[in-house]
Amino acid sequence: MHEIGVREVVQFAGLTFNWETLCMTWLTMAIVILIAFLATRNLKMVPSGWQNVLEMIVTGLNAQIAGTMGKRGSFLAPFIISLFLFLLVSNWLGLIPTLSSPTNDLNTTLGLALLVIVMVHSLGLYMKGAHYLAHFFKPTPVFVIINAIEEIAKPITLSFRLFGNILAGEILIIILLKLMPIWMPIPSVIWLAFSIFIGGVQAFIFTMLSMAYFAGAVKEDSEES
Amino acid sequence: MIELNATFFAQILNFLILVVILRAVAYKPVVRMLKAREDRIQESLDKADADAVEADKMLAEYKAKLAAANAKAETIVRNAEKRASEEREEKRAEAKREIEQMKKAAAAEIQRDRERAAEQLRAEVVALSMAAAGKIIAKNMDKAENEQLVGEFVDKLDKDKIGDLPC
Repeated sequence: MHEIGVREVVQFAGLTFNWETLCMTWLTMAIVILIAFLATRNLKMVPSGWQNVLEMIVTGLNAQIAGTMGKRGSFLAPFIISLFLFLLVSNWLGLIPTLSSPTNDLNTTLGLALLVIVMVHSLGLYMKGAHYLAHFFKPTPVFVIINAIEEIAKPITLSFRLFGNILAGEILIIILLKLMPIWMPIPSVIWLAFSIFIGGVQAFIFTMLSMAYFAGAVKEDSEES
Repeated sequence: MIELNATFFAQILNFLILVVILRAVAYKPVVRMLKAREDRIQESLDKADADAVEADKMLAEYKAKLAAANAKAETIVRNAEKRASEEREEKRAEAKREIEQMKKAAAAEIQRDRERAAEQLRAEVVALSMAAAGKIIAKNMDKAENEQLVGEFVDKLDKDKIGDLPC
């Protein structure tokens, strides 16, 4: 049983890496790619098995993307779908004993959140140009302060929400196992079930919020409701 | 617990690699397959619509044909009935004519028989009366007177009905 919060680090080329996080991330990537590969290995006109699950995710997210971002957002669909699958597998990976979620490390969540935010602003500038900058000064120039705080808060809330939820879930799993005698597994089982739910919900929230941010940058003004 | 280090950049890189791989491995085939299915469904629907239109057309055609056949059959039946009734009428008229003819022939024959009988009767009566008269009044009458008497008698006979004769 490892100490909570203490991370195994490795030094490489003068940089410090959280080894466990990296390993779990690679495991997650492998699982996601394996699932995707198995699910799309022989695609059939009449879907069955894994293909149903994957198609459900792809079509559902595609519909969400089309709904929130409009036509121009469709090129982001692979990114969004990858984000959702990666987060879902990451969040659930930590529920398996001896494994931990890549998302229980702030490096992962903040990395993803900043990636999303940087992409949002880049796309906004690329697609709307000066018009995109101007909307930070609306309705009056004074609002630029509030808007700036909002923009800075976006990656922080995005990353800390996911990080906190997943880390808390894993910590509580460990604590419950320590508190309860071995013949009383009910609290652990309940918490484990709840963590599965939380993992799905958090992956969904992260993805949906990313989509909402993307929508603000990508969606045409005429499409805005 | 929440220290940031180079893992941050590694995770961004990891995720971007994952995006690229997933896009190549899963997203594109799935989207292509979904598109193919969509096309297939659209095609099937179009075909079904076309088939329905075709079926409607055929149904209308068959209905028209059936109606035409019905009309034709009716015409044939009506013609046959007409012809049958004409034939019947003709037969009846012929039969009537024949009967009429037979009646006429029978009447003529009856007339002829009656005349012949009357002639015969008259001749017999003449002979009989001649014989009777000759026997009864042979001595009293001459021949002239006799002839006159007989002629009167016979004339009287002609005037009366032959059937009422007491003989």
